[in-house]
Amino acid sequence: MEYKIKTGQGQTEVFLSGRMTFADHEKFRHVIAAFEGPLGHQMVFDLDGLDFVDSSGLGMFIIARDTALKRNLEFKIRGARDDVKRLITVAKFHKMFDIED
Amino acid sequence: MSANPGSPPTLYGIDLGIPLNERRVLIADDSSFNRKTLARFLTWAGITQVEFAQQSEEVLARVDEFHPDLVLLDTTPPRMDGIGVCKSLRQQPHHRDLPILMQSAVNSDQHRTICFQAGATDIISKPVNPGECIARVRYHLERMSLIQELREFRERVERDLRMARSMQLALVPEEDKILEIARPRALDIEMHFRSSDEVGGDFWTLFEIDDTKIGLFIADLSGHGITAAINAFRLHTLMSRLPSAELLDPAALLAQLNRRLNDILTIGQYATAFYGVLDTRTDCLTYASAGSPDPILGRHDGMMAVDASGVFLGAFAGETYENRHVAVPPGSFLFLYSDALTESLDQEGEMLGEKGLLAWIKDVHASGVDRPLDALLERHAARYGTHLHDDLTTVWLQRH
Repeated sequence: MEYKIKTGQGQTEVFLSGRMTFADHEKFRHVIAAFEGPLGHQMVFDLDGLDFVDSSGLGMFIIARDTALKRNLEFKIRGARDDVKRLITVAKFHKMFDIED
Repeated sequence: MSANPGSPPTLYGIDLGIPLNERRVLIADDSSFNRKTLARFLTWAGITQVEFAQQSEEVLARVDEFHPDLVLLDTTPPRMDGIGVCKSLRQQPHHRDLPILMQSAVNSDQHRTICFQAGATDIISKPVNPGECIARVRYHLERMSLIQELREFRERVERDLRMARSMQLALVPEEDKILEIARPRALDIEMHFRSSDEVGGDFWTLFEIDDTKIGLFIADLSGHGITAAINAFRLHTLMSRLPSAELLDPAALLAQLNRRLNDILTIGQYATAFYGVLDTRTDCLTYASAGSPDPILGRHDGMMAVDASGVFLGAFAGETYENRHVAVPPGSFLFLYSDALTESLDQEGEMLGEKGLLAWIKDVHASGVDRPLDALLERHAARYGTHLHDDLTTVWLQRH
């Protein structure tokens, strides 16, 4: 997995790409470290570049959502496609995540 | 000349570090003056277990008898063919890691290259200076003991993982038990469970509910390794404590497991699960699912993926699940599997995927083989190998 973080007015975008798997736990901690901002600041995971996510990867989305909640930030997932989109649909993530196409 | 016991050895009044008195060194040198000098240097490093070889022919035998931790090897012909000795030592697998320090009076780069090519760990130029000699001996001995520690640690972890794998295997229903359940209901149940080298979090079980109903449960704890395996054991314990009345209602059972797992698991850990109750009297499979891979159902009217979408167990509090129904009449089969089947990578880095799997199952089914699961797994092993990074669970249930 590779990531790029872009912080702008009112939101921080995290662009994830490649394959997000068990091996990416350490890298993901750096992503989580960027979860900062004033009340209501929005964290966005952009998954357009992401080709695959395994069960550990989906667990990382859950951790991200939990971190955002605890720090009073908004959290949104956008741009999932193909396999990634299928996996988050199977897991019914739309029930607890803010998801945008 | 030897250091006082208890006080660190010194040279030029410099503390040379922890004495290496547990270590053994073999000095292979044809000059008695050199042997004595080197032995004296070693005493400054606290090394007193020293033996000697005077000519090439002796060295291999001395190494095998004395088991040195390091060899100081001279390269001056004719009586000491250091290059030849070094090569011979390296040809023996158990001496591959033995530190060999060569002493050389020839300081050309060409000669040094020949020494390293022969397998020398390091080279000390002659005349040998005590400070440098001690520093290099110490460095290579310390490096060697680090490698040994790592190797021992690795062996211990591998033993633990092997043990964990065999414990995990014991959770899977035994063949006798499967036959006992399958036979009276005109079912054929083939199953295959393969634990990954690192152990994983797969778990499945099968049980009788009454004369016509059986329960089939398959789960996969997120992640890999010991954490996933321990969570699989926790899930197994939760399952075995459920009152039998709850086994009839898959949605209620998953909601119950979700509540319990939610209390136990840390954020980001969860389980995918599928639980179905097959009634052979009504031909109906009632199931609920928590984001498991879609099982494949093969019936007279075609082959289809059974929708197994649902929120993971243990990830979100208070989640509810729904019961869904699908007809599984005699002559049909149901195939359940864990994601290692579709998500393993082949040599080109490609996954089989759900579409690929469905195509393979169609092939296998059309070929009319007796044991479709074996055929499917053979094909899988040929393309993805047998050492997968995740547990692989597959269950093929055929109704007659």
